[in-house]
Amino acid sequence: MIPNPLRDPRDRRLPRVPEPCALVVFGITGDLARKKLLPAVYDLANRGLLPTNFALLGFARRDWGDEDFAELARSAAQKAARTPWREEVWERLAGNVRFVQGSFDEDNAFDQLAATLGELEGTHGIGGNAAFYLSIPPAMFPVVLKQMQRTGMADSTPDRWRRVVVEKPFGTDLASSRTLNGLVDSVFSAEDVFRIDHYLGKETVQNLMALRFANTLFEPVWNGHHVDSVQITMAEDVGIGGRAQFYEQTGAARDVLQNHLLQLLALTAMEEPVEFSADEIRTEKLKVLRAVSLPEDLAAFAVRGQYEQGWLAGQRATGYRQEDGVDAHSTTETYAAVRLGVETRRWAGVPFYLRTGKRLPRRVTEIALVFKRAPHLPFADTDTEELGNNQLVIRVQPDEGMTLKFGSKVPGSVMEVRDVAMDFLYGEQFTEASPEAYERLLLDVLLGDATLFPRNHEVEASWAVIDPLEEFWAGTTPQPYRAGEWGPRAADEMLAAEGRRWRRP
Amino acid sequence: MTTLWDTTGSAVVKELAAQRRTGGAVLSGVALTLVVVADENRVAEAEEAATAAAEQHPCRLLIVVRRQIEAPAPRLDAEVLIGGRLGPGEAVVMRMYGRLALHAESVVLPLLAADAPVVTWWHGTPPDQLCTDALAVIADRRITDSSMAEDQFAALRARAEDYAPGDTDLAWTRSTPWRSTLTSSVDAVSGRRGEAVRVLGGRVEGDPGSATALLLAGWLSARCGCEIPVVSGEKRPGPSGVSAVALDLDQDEQVRVQADRRGGAVISQPYRPEAMVALPDRQLGDLIGEELRRLDPDEPFAEALESTTGIPDLAYRSPVREYVWFDPAEENAGSGGATLPAVPPDSEGTDDVAQQGVDDPDQGARDAGQTVP
Repeated sequence: MIPNPLRDPRDRRLPRVPEPCALVVFGITGDLARKKLLPAVYDLANRGLLPTNFALLGFARRDWGDEDFAELARSAAQKAARTPWREEVWERLAGNVRFVQGSFDEDNAFDQLAATLGELEGTHGIGGNAAFYLSIPPAMFPVVLKQMQRTGMADSTPDRWRRVVVEKPFGTDLASSRTLNGLVDSVFSAEDVFRIDHYLGKETVQNLMALRFANTLFEPVWNGHHVDSVQITMAEDVGIGGRAQFYEQTGAARDVLQNHLLQLLALTAMEEPVEFSADEIRTEKLKVLRAVSLPEDLAAFAVRGQYEQGWLAGQRATGYRQEDGVDAHSTTETYAAVRLGVETRRWAGVPFYLRTGKRLPRRVTEIALVFKRAPHLPFADTDTEELGNNQLVIRVQPDEGMTLKFGSKVPGSVMEVRDVAMDFLYGEQFTEASPEAYERLLLDVLLGDATLFPRNHEVEASWAVIDPLEEFWAGTTPQPYRAGEWGPRAADEMLAAEGRRWRRP
Repeated sequence: MTTLWDTTGSAVVKELAAQRRTGGAVLSGVALTLVVVADENRVAEAEEAATAAAEQHPCRLLIVVRRQIEAPAPRLDAEVLIGGRLGPGEAVVMRMYGRLALHAESVVLPLLAADAPVVTWWHGTPPDQLCTDALAVIADRRITDSSMAEDQFAALRARAEDYAPGDTDLAWTRSTPWRSTLTSSVDAVSGRRGEAVRVLGGRVEGDPGSATALLLAGWLSARCGCEIPVVSGEKRPGPSGVSAVALDLDQDEQVRVQADRRGGAVISQPYRPEAMVALPDRQLGDLIGEELRRLDPDEPFAEALESTTGIPDLAYRSPVREYVWFDPAEENAGSGGATLPAVPPDSEGTDDVAQQGVDDPDQGARDAGQTVP
């Protein structure tokens, strides 16, 4: 950034505000744009985090005028905004909103988009900077990117930046992700590509690095000498919703394991970065992802499941195969659990159990470090019957925070040790509403801060982990589990085989 | 909620503990203690603001109201609330009468959250020398509000004379939206030019007596290395005391930010259309919330205050204040105050502290000083 006499690194009251720029959203009428992007833009404006010269450009097939679009944007933002609604903020934002109608294969629609962008440069003073948000199915990427290349919209020059934001899935396997990365990188330069993994925008995930590298308390035990195993869970109570078509082709492993869970694993297992910068953090994460190993016996240590009908939260839930748009003999998994290893000196021999599933009893994401039991207990066996392993649990959502579980004496005349929990709840210590993940990530894109975005090598390394699993699973039928259960029995047996059990989150 | 009439500090501590046990789901962690010193007629205002701030930063809230210092018998009335009117956390409102008001820290110290930072906020006129209030000496951060003074420039001078790192002033907090808007306006110009911008001069238009306008001008002068004065504007400024800021840049360009008095501002800059931004006048609670966000010394404030008042080297002062015993009653009694009985005779035997303070003012100072951690 160009030096500014008014900026002082010690002056932390002044927020980080991006340079004047435009945000161009492809697929602005889609679900993600309405539920997440538009509210995030309003919230950023309301917090005063958008530059003074900012324009929002929507591109979609619908035949709309700027006003229709402004109306949609308004109702979407109003419905999901997290900050209080202030009409004057919205009015100011609405004055900078444009809509371009057209389909992705029409040359003149993109010419018009380029022209509108050029026009905004003058009238709204955005200075030529623009971020393009591809909120569209990956199948449409090639055509949109080609169009952007044709119109020269994608070129960063010393005077202006052009960035692109890509949503997951980043491909469906290693080969396709390489093709996709190659395509995106051929149009935009690698440092202008931002792959959004919204989990990384969550406060607790960022706090994981603060927890590990700002404290002295945890790092000495953060290794295979003290940690018995690590469990990373992402459970959802919802089914597939209206996404049958997408989900049928994807499945839990590609949808969640490949990106969210492996990113959480990388942040948990990585070494200390040389400095807290995008490049250094990504370097450390990449090292971990490359060191991830699959179990030799995939049959025993990789389980996939599919929910059947059952009861969840007092309501009847239909089975996966009965959902609209799902093949009655579908073999797509809605649950995946796998034991991974991290082949580094720090983690050799420590199993990392990852699991994700839909229609599980509750929505929860957490990372649990289960510590080894004390090598010797001076107490009688009967005294410590109820003592389990010490645990450090990082709750990513909901109830963001941390729990430390350890043994404590039960008050009374006999010696009896039982597990107790010490809780740190983010909302209690800092209730100041932390920005929503999309808000934070969108701001980072506009600022050009890539710390929280995985880069292409990480995506490829993650696929290298998932591909053998998918290969092994191809042609097999997932294990059934009832909706409202914590996954198929085989997943429990997978841990029981090594004398462990899943934590109930 | 429990109200304790004519009580003692230990009873308040006990009551707080009792309420925590029976209160059910209350906050288990407290990040800081906020001590609010307010006059009786401003208590409601202070309570409202502190509650809003406590919702952003969970804290233990201790509101100290000093009343009737000349009252013959010292007395403490306390209201203990958890998760009630005063936000989600623990709150104690204490009204102190008589000589006890001069020893407010004796009640406050045992109520501070363990090993957590203490922030003291005077909603009213703070002492000229903060070291004469023990509630300032125990605090890691001290918040005053020079905008409330009759003569706001004099109030800023007093703050500068007395400054120690960790002091801050709400007049400065009120300038944050202006400062961030100005900063991003300069960013916009340098972004267009593709090279750094120099600010050669400018002016702050508004109320030349407003502490916020003065601090804003002081900050601009310090950052840009040129004199930027406060001049009376054509329009009446809003509560912040600033109606517009104009900056003269190199290459003969100018940037101007003009408040529209409807929670927004218009930015005029060369080669670009006018832009509207939000520039709301914030509630007291939001200002306190901003102050609680960070608890380390605010160097840019020290620089702005230095530049505004011309008193140098503020940032190099010691952050630790030594408590100095000060008795308003003695001052009222004239020059020989130390020898005059400051407490009416009927309080004898009921107020040790006050008596000690009268018998030997230095001893009183040492006693109070010893309680300072």
